[in-house]
Amino acid sequence: MAKDGQDAIDFNRDIRGVLSDKCFLCHGPDESTREADLRLDVREDAIDFGAIQPGDANLSEIIARIQSDDPDLVMPPPETGKSVTPNEQRRLIQWINQGASYDEHWAFVPPVHPTIPDTENASDGNAIDQFVQTRLVSQRRQRNGPADVITLVRRLHLDLTGLPPTIECLDRFDAAVSAANQAEQIESLIDELLESPQFGERWARWWLDAARYADSAGYEKDMPRQTFFYRDWVIDSMNRDYPYDQFIIDQIAGDLRPGAGQAEHVATGFLRNSMTNEEGGADPEQFRIEGMFDRMDAIGKAILGVTTQCAQCHTHKYDPLSHREYYQMFAALNDFDEGCITVYTPEQADQRQRILNRAAALETELKMQTKDWIADVESWIDTVSATRPHWRTLQITEAPYEGQKYRFLDDGSILSESYAPTKSDAKFSLITDVGTITAVRLDALKHPQLPRGGPGRSIDGTGALSEFKMTVTPIDSDGTYGKPIDIKFVRAISEINPEQRDLKPQYRAKDALADDRVVGPASYAIDGDLKTAWTTDIGPGRSNTNRHIIFVPETPVQVDGRAKLTFNLIQKHGGWNSDDNQNFLIGRYRFGTTDAKSIPETTIDSQVESLLEIRCADWTDRQWNDAFTAYRMTREQWSETNADIESLWKTHPETATQLVAVAREKPRPTYVFARGDFLSPTEEVQTDAPEFLHPMMEDRLSANQPMPDRLRFARWLVDRDSPTTARVIVNRIWQAYFGRGLVKTPEDFGFQSAPPSHPDLLDYLAVELMDSGWSLKHIHRLIVSSNAYRRDSSGLREDFLDDPENQWLARGPRLPMEAEMVRDAALMAGGLLNLKIGGPSVYPPAPEFLFLPPTSYGPKIWRTDQSGDEYRRSVYVHHYRSIPYPPLQIFDAPKGDAACVRRNRSNTPLQALVMLNETQFVESARGLASRVLREFPGEFPCDDPAMDRQRVRYAFRICTSRYPDEDEVAVLIELLQSRLEAWLPEASPDARKQKEQRLTSMLGVSPRVLKQIAGIDARELAAWMTICRTILNLDETVTK
Amino acid sequence: MIPHQVTQRRWFLQQCQLGLGHIALTSLLAKSAAAVSKSDSNSEAVDHAVNPMAPKPPHFPAKIKNVIVLFMGGGPSQFELFDHKPALQKLDGTLPPAELLDGYRSAFINPNSKLLGPKFKFARHGQSGAELSESLPHLAKVADDLCIIKSMTTDAFNHAPAQLMMSTGSQQFGRPSMGSWLTYGLGSETEDLPAYVVFNSGKKGPSAGAGNWSSGFLPTLHSGVEFRSSGDPVLYLSTPPGISDLEQRQTLDAVNTLNRRRLDVVGDPEIATRVNAYEMAFRMQSSAPEAMNLADEPEHMLKLYGAEPGKMSFANNCLLARRLVQRGVRFIQLFHESWDQHGGLESGIRQNCLDTDQACAALVQDLKQRGMLDETLVIWGGEFGRTPMVQGGNDGRDHHPNSFSMWMAGGGLKSGLTYGSTDELGFNVGENPVHVHDLHATILHLLGFDHKRLTYRFQGRDYRLTDVHGEVVQDILHA
Repeated sequence: MAKDGQDAIDFNRDIRGVLSDKCFLCHGPDESTREADLRLDVREDAIDFGAIQPGDANLSEIIARIQSDDPDLVMPPPETGKSVTPNEQRRLIQWINQGASYDEHWAFVPPVHPTIPDTENASDGNAIDQFVQTRLVSQRRQRNGPADVITLVRRLHLDLTGLPPTIECLDRFDAAVSAANQAEQIESLIDELLESPQFGERWARWWLDAARYADSAGYEKDMPRQTFFYRDWVIDSMNRDYPYDQFIIDQIAGDLRPGAGQAEHVATGFLRNSMTNEEGGADPEQFRIEGMFDRMDAIGKAILGVTTQCAQCHTHKYDPLSHREYYQMFAALNDFDEGCITVYTPEQADQRQRILNRAAALETELKMQTKDWIADVESWIDTVSATRPHWRTLQITEAPYEGQKYRFLDDGSILSESYAPTKSDAKFSLITDVGTITAVRLDALKHPQLPRGGPGRSIDGTGALSEFKMTVTPIDSDGTYGKPIDIKFVRAISEINPEQRDLKPQYRAKDALADDRVVGPASYAIDGDLKTAWTTDIGPGRSNTNRHIIFVPETPVQVDGRAKLTFNLIQKHGGWNSDDNQNFLIGRYRFGTTDAKSIPETTIDSQVESLLEIRCADWTDRQWNDAFTAYRMTREQWSETNADIESLWKTHPETATQLVAVAREKPRPTYVFARGDFLSPTEEVQTDAPEFLHPMMEDRLSANQPMPDRLRFARWLVDRDSPTTARVIVNRIWQAYFGRGLVKTPEDFGFQSAPPSHPDLLDYLAVELMDSGWSLKHIHRLIVSSNAYRRDSSGLREDFLDDPENQWLARGPRLPMEAEMVRDAALMAGGLLNLKIGGPSVYPPAPEFLFLPPTSYGPKIWRTDQSGDEYRRSVYVHHYRSIPYPPLQIFDAPKGDAACVRRNRSNTPLQALVMLNETQFVESARGLASRVLREFPGEFPCDDPAMDRQRVRYAFRICTSRYPDEDEVAVLIELLQSRLEAWLPEASPDARKQKEQRLTSMLGVSPRVLKQIAGIDARELAAWMTICRTILNLDETVTK
Repeated sequence: MIPHQVTQRRWFLQQCQLGLGHIALTSLLAKSAAAVSKSDSNSEAVDHAVNPMAPKPPHFPAKIKNVIVLFMGGGPSQFELFDHKPALQKLDGTLPPAELLDGYRSAFINPNSKLLGPKFKFARHGQSGAELSESLPHLAKVADDLCIIKSMTTDAFNHAPAQLMMSTGSQQFGRPSMGSWLTYGLGSETEDLPAYVVFNSGKKGPSAGAGNWSSGFLPTLHSGVEFRSSGDPVLYLSTPPGISDLEQRQTLDAVNTLNRRRLDVVGDPEIATRVNAYEMAFRMQSSAPEAMNLADEPEHMLKLYGAEPGKMSFANNCLLARRLVQRGVRFIQLFHESWDQHGGLESGIRQNCLDTDQACAALVQDLKQRGMLDETLVIWGGEFGRTPMVQGGNDGRDHHPNSFSMWMAGGGLKSGLTYGSTDELGFNVGENPVHVHDLHATILHLLGFDHKRLTYRFQGRDYRLTDVHGEVVQDILHA
């Protein structure tokens, strides 16, 4: 029992933090830094050592050491700069005297549904209020009454949709007279807002912070990347209240779920939001590992609420996560290639399907025209097989050292990685016994790591070969090199021979019109002309497949014995800006030779070629169709249908891509990296859960199919037994409403975190989430239905002094709007906001210099939208990690370099400059002014003071949702009058003209045009613009 | 028309005893309250609470108050500037010893590439006899004011990670930059300008971009603010088209009047912070263009730096840096990204020196003449050095983290000192290695901070600029 006047000590609340912060660094979980073989995080060890004598603080060494005056004995040692405060000492003594009981860390014990306290005076709210009220009563705090209904309506709108209420909505609530009716109307408003598409946009942004979403790769080049399908998937998930556990599983392992479709693949974009370093000379594996660390960090912060970063390099100093356990989780994620797939909108998918159907129908017609198409194809295949040369794959041993990196794969092919130059000239060599070479073959191969699967590295997954060259250097038996012989090629054969065409815009020279480079058929690769190139690009829909090209020398190469063969790939058909996605390189290639006596005039489709290895009898239907497609192309009499099908493909839509995880056939082995250094692997580890969390079970997809580790890990993350997962997400939702989580550190629920302000409430919400089938909307509804949320937010100075963060919830939440809300609300007030949902990111106006050196590393693309997209919601604004859109960044929107689960909340002069001076904010003021004049039309000059007052009230209400009081109106009317006077025409013609010019630049049109077209007087609009600009800049306008 | 600063503060203190505009304030408050002396602790503590940028004393008396970093992005070649290697000349065209390359990773070249002799002649300068290449004729004139470190070493050999290492002490994005730590620790001396200003010049932007001046997990107001020497000096600084200064002032007055009224009603001190932010924004609208107006400078001063008003140049930025220091800006970073000489080494270095050498020397000279060098630290350097091995034909060098050179000048440092050395080929550090963490520890020391105690709690851990490393380089400090 506690002594008089003293609360009983609670280990988690009073003691753990002290031990963790002051002692665990040397006496905690990490063996490698443990001093004197003492650990204080395990009770038995502390007692055995004599550090703690339960029941007697005087006999406990720990107390003696803490209180020692001797600098050699005192703990913590003076050089740590830490000391135990008298208050902490008192608590430690009391705790030991009370028996020194260790409780398990609250966050690592799974939550259970707590008993809802029965508190008087709280019956009018919901369960949340019972928990809140208990604390308020025990602290003898007075809570505020409910906020007025308009304040609540505004709060609900901003919290649930990120947009302020419309005038129509406010009118509705002004008209709601009876309290009973009001309550009902609020309920239906909540339903309405939870169902509105804007809900998904608002809460997607909240998740995208944690998902470190960005539209560019980061690091030096920070090239644009397409990943907006992921963003739209998150919006959609929020809107349809996709259960949180499924939401997480999809993002970690959607691709591995049985029956995974496009959406599940897109969801793995979460894993791919890591930055990728494309600067010249970057080691691809080093930065893949950096990406892995980033994924671990994001999962730790956003899902588990455990900081993992420390354990990258060594066992965590404070939390029980060991170095080894970190890599056991890492192993679960170490199974995929960093893929980039083609994705289709529903319309595009339909369109593609129509093409496939129509082509299939036409092919069926052809099949019907023949007696036995199967026999025809078989006999054609026989002929092809008989005349097909036998190819020998060459194992290249020498590749260039340069900014681009070449990885040798097991099948003898070479993968181009890291930096992708727009102009490349690379030589690949090997030494081999040559014999006779009658033709050389270059394969351009797919790889999951290449855009759209390849075979190229361009954003289309295509490449272009400007010139192919080969030299042979004979080597004497004594090892001396002979004179290199350049091989002259006279024939180039490929399965695809596109017609000659100009380069796509992204490959053009800076002076695009003067660029006379072209791409076309195979012969372009040996014509000695660097302006022409063979390309694998035959348009969207069919370009992402293996291709090959065959080169036939004038005379066969004949070398008895060994020689050095050097292949020179010259690829100069990329664009001018190597800091943008303008490369046009083949991404993976393989070289081969043949000594076949004759080389056929044509070569067949690489896909069908692979069928030659299989007996026709074993072909699948699909393979039969592929073979037929190749066959029909060779038939002269079908040229008309062939041409029809070709033109069908020309209608294939240009599609977007999405970064995804592509599981490898076999996961990579995972090692513990000493000091986190990928060059220092030590012991190998398998996927498993850390001991302090719930166990990860073995699982199977089916009787004979084990479940892939990544999927198992994903399911483990959202297992009901997880002590932190549900708590972490409800805490972050709470934080979004109240500005402070029930746990103040949403990213860290470990030993170093402060205990929750309302532990039972946190557990209640966590269990509610799981019991509701992981419905996030259920939690939203609970929170916005509580009285705690609905309270009046004002207070006396002492109240703010006493509880600045409002952690005890005596007041309602009053918080600065988040960056996106600030901009969206201004655009909405100005009548400019475009509520279109989803699609590629948009480019609102921004100063041009931002995207040019030396502000940007290289020139960046920023095509300012001018047809309405510039007014889309901020969640759609293109986000370059290195040059974040300033109006958002200045208001603390995260940069996306790493997961962010708690935004900074600053209030700075730079924000004032944005709201006062930035183009779209000024446009919004102008838009609002014209709204005001449209809504309350009248003669100018206005001789009705009541009219102007009405106008002020209207504008004020649009921005703040409430009517201004008389004094506020008076301030604005005074400003209005002063501005109207200031715009009075000048007597002298020069001054008059000057004023008109100022009006013109302020309003964007000349006073005359304005009058003619809109019937509005420029002076009046200008004066009202000032009023609106003032109101848009009010603290209340940007506060929720 | 503009209320005096003192009035501002008085109003502020009256209206609002605690301006908790920032999450971190409570801890700031606790820290600063502990740090200040007893006599005036109350008013000071309250002052910090209202304005987190209020000046704060460091841990111990500082040697310097201001820092100007001349960040030579790309990685300048030490062999063409500071680190004279006659042996490299002799061994030009031969392969480096195999044991040197053991475990060495390079960015672009095959490590086993031939050695490349220096492209420029070296000579000794000043009383100190500092050895400099002929490409630095201006710097040679202030050689006795410099402290040259030839034994720098870092961990990263790609630009972005290495620049982050230099700017933030970590190769990862998301950590606070040195300037942010500084304003977090010291507050601001100016109420009209940001405490931490960044300039860019050169052919490109810095590889690590805004990560170089990010506040990381520190409150956002500690971020560096980019200034430009032409056009609008700060983003959105100009009043919108057609709107007069008078109208801007009237608007601001109305905004603040209405905000103050609101403060009376709801009591939220955040509103007071906003009122102050608007006042400072307005002051910045006049003070920033004034500070940036080089036309104020006498002809001989422009000439000294090689500055031309209205142009975007490194020279202009150097002169502007001095003007900003005079106005109370604490930390200024000048990025000049053009030192990545994989090829065109000789002409590239020559051009870069033409663009920067005169202004660097002028800055040191000018600060000294004005007596400002005693309290200002000028730091010159890039993110890493370059290989003694050649890249390409015979006129390029690859990235090299093992050893490189920097120089510093300013208060608290021994001047006319050349510190540390590299081995015969300049491949590894010989004597007195100075890691980037050590450099940071030393800079913080000069500013009056124990680098181990300037910390910020984030994710359950106390972070600092030097992570868990860093030793103050006592040898280069004045006793």
